[in-house]
Amino acid sequence: MAQIPNLDNAPVNLTSIREHSQKELLNILKNVRGKKCLVIDPKLGDSLSLIIQTSILKEHGVELRHLSGDPIQTDCSKVVYIVHAQPKLMRFICSNIHNDVSKGLQREYHVYFVPRRTVVCEKVLEEEKLHNMVTIGEYPLYSVPMDEDVLSFELDLSYKECQVDGDTSSLWHIAKAIHKLEFSFGVIPNVRAKGKASVRVADILNRMQAEEPVNSSDMVVPEINTVILLDREVDMVTPLCSQLTYEGLLDEFLHINNGSVELDASIMGLQQEGKKTKVPLNSSDKLFKEIRDLNFEVVVQILRQKATSMKQDYTEMTTTTQTVSELKDFVKKLNSLPEMTRHINLAQHLSTFTSKPSFLGQLDMEHTIVEAQSYDICFEYIEELIHKQEPLTTVLRLLILFSITNSGLPKKHFDYFRRELLHSYGFEHIAMLNNLEKAGLFKKQESKSNWLTIKRALQLVVEDTDTANPNDIAYVFSGYAPLSIRLVQHAIRSGWRPVEEILKLLPGPHLEMKRGGFSNSPSFDTLSGIQSSIAKVPDGRRAVVLVVFVGGVTFAEISALRFLCTQEGMAYDLIIATTKIVNGQTLVETFMEKLG
Amino acid sequence: MANVSVAAEWQLLYNRYYRKPELYPMPWKHVDLARTKVAAAPFGGPVAVIRDDSKIVQLHAESALRKLRLFSSSGRPLADAVWRHPGGRLVGMSWTDDQTLLCVVQDGTVYRYDVHANLIEPNLSLGKECFEDNVADCAFWGHGLVCITEANQLFCIADFRNPSAVKLADPGIDEMPHCMAVIEPQYTVSGNVEVLLGVDDAVVLAVEEDGVQRLGEGLLRGPLQKMVVSRDGKWLASFTHDGRLLVTTSDLTGVIIERDCESALPPQQIAWCGMDAVLLYWDDMLLMMGPEGEPVHYLFDEPIILIPECDGVRILSNTSMEFLQRVPDSTVSIFTIGSTSPAALLYDALDHFDRRSAKADENLRLIRSSLPEAVEACVDAAGHEFDVSRQQTLLRAASYGQAFCSNFQRDRIQEMCKILRVLNAVRSPEIGIPLSIQQYKLLTPSVLIGRLINAHQHLLALKVSEYLGMNQEVVIMHWACSKITASLAIPDVTLLEILLDKLKLCKGISYAAVAAHADKNDRRKLAALLVEHEPRSSKQVPLLLSIGEEDIALIKATECGDTDLVYLVLFHIWQKRQPLEFFGTIQARPLARDLFVTYARIYKHEFLKDFFLSTGQLQDVAFLLWKESWELGKNPMASKGSPLHGPRIKLIEKAHGLFAETKEHTFESKAAEEHAKLLRIQHELEVTTKQAIFVDSSISDTIRTCIVLGNNRAAMKVKTEFKVSEKRWYWLKVFALATIKDWVALEKFSKEKKPPIGYRPFVEACIEADEKGEAIKYIPKLADPRERAESYARIGMAKEAADAASQAKDGELLGRLKLTFAQNAAASSIFDTLRDRLSFQGA
Repeated sequence: MAQIPNLDNAPVNLTSIREHSQKELLNILKNVRGKKCLVIDPKLGDSLSLIIQTSILKEHGVELRHLSGDPIQTDCSKVVYIVHAQPKLMRFICSNIHNDVSKGLQREYHVYFVPRRTVVCEKVLEEEKLHNMVTIGEYPLYSVPMDEDVLSFELDLSYKECQVDGDTSSLWHIAKAIHKLEFSFGVIPNVRAKGKASVRVADILNRMQAEEPVNSSDMVVPEINTVILLDREVDMVTPLCSQLTYEGLLDEFLHINNGSVELDASIMGLQQEGKKTKVPLNSSDKLFKEIRDLNFEVVVQILRQKATSMKQDYTEMTTTTQTVSELKDFVKKLNSLPEMTRHINLAQHLSTFTSKPSFLGQLDMEHTIVEAQSYDICFEYIEELIHKQEPLTTVLRLLILFSITNSGLPKKHFDYFRRELLHSYGFEHIAMLNNLEKAGLFKKQESKSNWLTIKRALQLVVEDTDTANPNDIAYVFSGYAPLSIRLVQHAIRSGWRPVEEILKLLPGPHLEMKRGGFSNSPSFDTLSGIQSSIAKVPDGRRAVVLVVFVGGVTFAEISALRFLCTQEGMAYDLIIATTKIVNGQTLVETFMEKLG
Repeated sequence: MANVSVAAEWQLLYNRYYRKPELYPMPWKHVDLARTKVAAAPFGGPVAVIRDDSKIVQLHAESALRKLRLFSSSGRPLADAVWRHPGGRLVGMSWTDDQTLLCVVQDGTVYRYDVHANLIEPNLSLGKECFEDNVADCAFWGHGLVCITEANQLFCIADFRNPSAVKLADPGIDEMPHCMAVIEPQYTVSGNVEVLLGVDDAVVLAVEEDGVQRLGEGLLRGPLQKMVVSRDGKWLASFTHDGRLLVTTSDLTGVIIERDCESALPPQQIAWCGMDAVLLYWDDMLLMMGPEGEPVHYLFDEPIILIPECDGVRILSNTSMEFLQRVPDSTVSIFTIGSTSPAALLYDALDHFDRRSAKADENLRLIRSSLPEAVEACVDAAGHEFDVSRQQTLLRAASYGQAFCSNFQRDRIQEMCKILRVLNAVRSPEIGIPLSIQQYKLLTPSVLIGRLINAHQHLLALKVSEYLGMNQEVVIMHWACSKITASLAIPDVTLLEILLDKLKLCKGISYAAVAAHADKNDRRKLAALLVEHEPRSSKQVPLLLSIGEEDIALIKATECGDTDLVYLVLFHIWQKRQPLEFFGTIQARPLARDLFVTYARIYKHEFLKDFFLSTGQLQDVAFLLWKESWELGKNPMASKGSPLHGPRIKLIEKAHGLFAETKEHTFESKAAEEHAKLLRIQHELEVTTKQAIFVDSSISDTIRTCIVLGNNRAAMKVKTEFKVSEKRWYWLKVFALATIKDWVALEKFSKEKKPPIGYRPFVEACIEADEKGEAIKYIPKLADPRERAESYARIGMAKEAADAASQAKDGELLGRLKLTFAQNAAASSIFDTLRDRLSFQGA
């Protein structure tokens, strides 16, 4: 199955980036001669599946294993680890090797760190007295193309690490990833950042350019005109709301993992009882490309229309005599049949979730919280969820949303909810509560909330949203326009200056700067105003803006950005880069370290 | 005419011309090649001389101690060193490709010198056998050497950049071979060096690491007296016992040339001159043999040394350095007497033009069609010229011709001018590197610059690299390091100024590398000053650590945002300082502290506790203890109800105490207390019920479990112990009863008193359990008509739902309910009528 997305239509040449990563990986495998056991940490394995087909790995004499604490079962005498450079993972490698040693197995160990070797990981090996037994290398994989307009840095813990642990390693990684893009596409002349982490990334990026400059002389016009960096912290409201686009809903209910969902084969109409099947979801699927960003309501209608028209064609086909060209058209349409079936099956499966009263109730509550008019109703609703011991993530999503829009809860309520949570779900969640408090997601109220001002100033709640023919990004949440994308809209249209007052209401500093050799050239002073003609690259393509989400982005937000791209008067193509594609649930889960 | 005089100096060998211009007169004093050993490096490299201790010489006023003296090819003294080495006679001396002078003495020690006559430590040894048997002779190539001992064993160091001595196969001979030659590893099949030995029999032994071959059997008629392998390793020129010059393939399978020499006495030196002539030297006579035709004789009244180059041979005598080379074709075409080649006519045309003669134009007309070739030939000939004025004339001729031809590559002349400027600069006697253009191309400009640097000709190196548009970093870097080494007397600040002044010329140069050099030269302060200027944190930080500036290193690492560098500093300080001091250092730097905590959380639990205690973060210690208690619980050894249960609770109670120390953590403190209490109660429950299902479930779950087990009293007890609210209690109990389908108890519960949260929990529990009959009991009791309507709808009672909805007067609700009953025509008509009625009322 074609898991690896087609990148031919990408606004910049992402294919070359992927091919480069591919080559580097194969070089690692070639460096270790003969048969070898390749052990990768599972998260990395997911990313790699977007880079290279497993069959190619097998051609290089690879036996694939996932990293765990259990002893490695293989006959190979050479073991190649490719792991993220996280101290936690070193434990497994150490226990693997110790196990081999105790059994008297003599093996050759290679450890390749992604994206680079780090002192802290080597320290662990050293403390375990294993550093002389392993050959250490690097696999500089900084970003993975998820689709023709989406790059992921695959830093799923970035938000939590920065906000809770104060570990800003991911910010360096992001800066490095952008800097690496600059080596391919030229120094990005305009930088706009909002939020503490984003401003820091911009700062590190500048340092990198000073320390290891991209040679801009051979690239006259940089392919990427602007980078907009946005902290997730600036807008935590959006990811906590239930996404209502097709792709967003698929993610909410079925969890899209690196461009595919796994579900029971029976749902897809396959006759394999109890078996799981993987369905790839990316732009290579033309029908999916057409409907992924639409509101689910509309998707259902479209699918119905398509099915009806096909049925009509079919009946015509069986009754009357056709010309050859009509036959040809019909057959062409038939080619899209598998895609039709696939999405009708998926949509049907989704609607079993969306029609549940609990889901409708939750949607209703999300809107009520975002409206921020009826505190008590929200309070009681969440209280009841806890009492009913609804799934913890569902509760936390609403609770955090509630806390954020009120900029914290009064101490009494804060303590009450914490107590009820611990009583209902167990005391081990104290660590998670502590994390959420540190991250400012669920906390004691210390100042008056300015959510209403922000909501009004940025027109976040849009009445009368026509989901079928939307004229605003609010369609992705059926009436709520994601704050993050509103900011991007402003950043693209006019830069930060006109919205400075609003930015000050949101957490973290903001920054706007020019870089590279273009700072003095007025002709590159684009983006401000509608002088979009200058931003056009000579061959008629639109200039590219890179939107980076530090801390994750949801599919709904991606859809909203794609919607912006299709709007008239839009002078740019957008590429989205993110630490990870998230949704409310996965985001909340990163904070859930159990005490145990 | 000028042309005539040029060609008059040429000698004709077979059909080729040779010339032997003097490169330099040798200004050196007190050097007599007759009594010295000489090693001259190829590519115009330096010349090493030392008095030959195998000859008996009269010392005159000289010291008895020998001196190793180094000169440039132009005879300028470079350096000298007194030779005091033990180990016996100096057997062989040669330069490697990277201009290290190798001196092999009898006991097998190899002394190495750089171009400044500094001994490079350590001295190498060829091994014990050499030490015992004495080295008799040796042969060198690019980076290696082979020696033969008096016991006729061969040893080899294949690469001096990675020196280790290897013994080659035993050639199995008793007599010293007459001559020895090597074929470089790059030209042999095996990739290892091959040594050719001319022995007494009519064969040549080819010795390698793993075997000996006999070559030339049947081909040779007697032993060979002298051998030399050509530069490309393909041909072997040898002098036979009966006075013949023999050129064969290097594997001695075919004879190419065989010619009689006038002497049966073996020559003192034999060398290839380029690829198409062989030179043989006897006392005062040099014979040049080509493939055919009369050999050329040169006579010398003083001893000479032949220095083979890729395109000729340099001839070094006491008084001059000459270069014997085949005249290049372009030069021949221009300068041969009577030449009418286009190039010659063009050259002539320029002469006429200079003299304002109309003949210039005539000449040009004659060669119009072949003008580009003529220009090209002039450019090429200029390149091969050593004489600057002749270079100029040739280039002028070329540029004169170029003006008349449209399709000549214009940058060709410019390029040649560039090359010649570089060549003339290095050929000047002060520098003394007489490179020919061919040698220059083979050597490459970057190697040439490397050699200039090595010879401390930094200014010229810088100019050359600037001129050729090459990276100047190498030059400036080397200069800076040499400057530091040589400037022990200059104070740090002054030296820093001098260095910075030059270092800034080169963007992106590594200040850290220079600083590291300063540090190595014990100038720590200078190093600190320099490293301050390094823009790359990844280079700067490690160096700061190595010069002991940990605190600055920590600041720099934190600033640059690279957490890896912060960890580097962190571990460094951690190792170096006392824990308390370490804690103090990192506490002041949030990023360092947080990273430390992150690492310690995984691998240094106890140490982390110490840290939190030292900084007064008691709540964090408490969290750690709480976590530990959980790990005890997860431990399979600590099965439920075991004695390990005690320590778990103790840890939590300790945590409770620590939380209570600070006012801000009352909540956590209370929670820990409750947790301990819960564990105790759960433990008791497990004992009384004999079921291990309580420990580590939540309070709510415990209540549910009790109710499910029918133990209402226990459930009540938990409820009171933990002050569970009535609201939560109702939800828990209702759902628990529904789980065990105890509908009777549920109904009884509903009637206990008016439920504090109404009857919705009852309805929901029944609907979820799919018990319509039970649900109907409670739906009418719901206060809100909307809720009633929806509940009826959920159990499919359309009529009742519609009634309730109309009571609520909610049109939107009606519409939604209609959708749920979409399949049911009768039901949806009810909704339509009701909605019509509603809207009518509204109007």
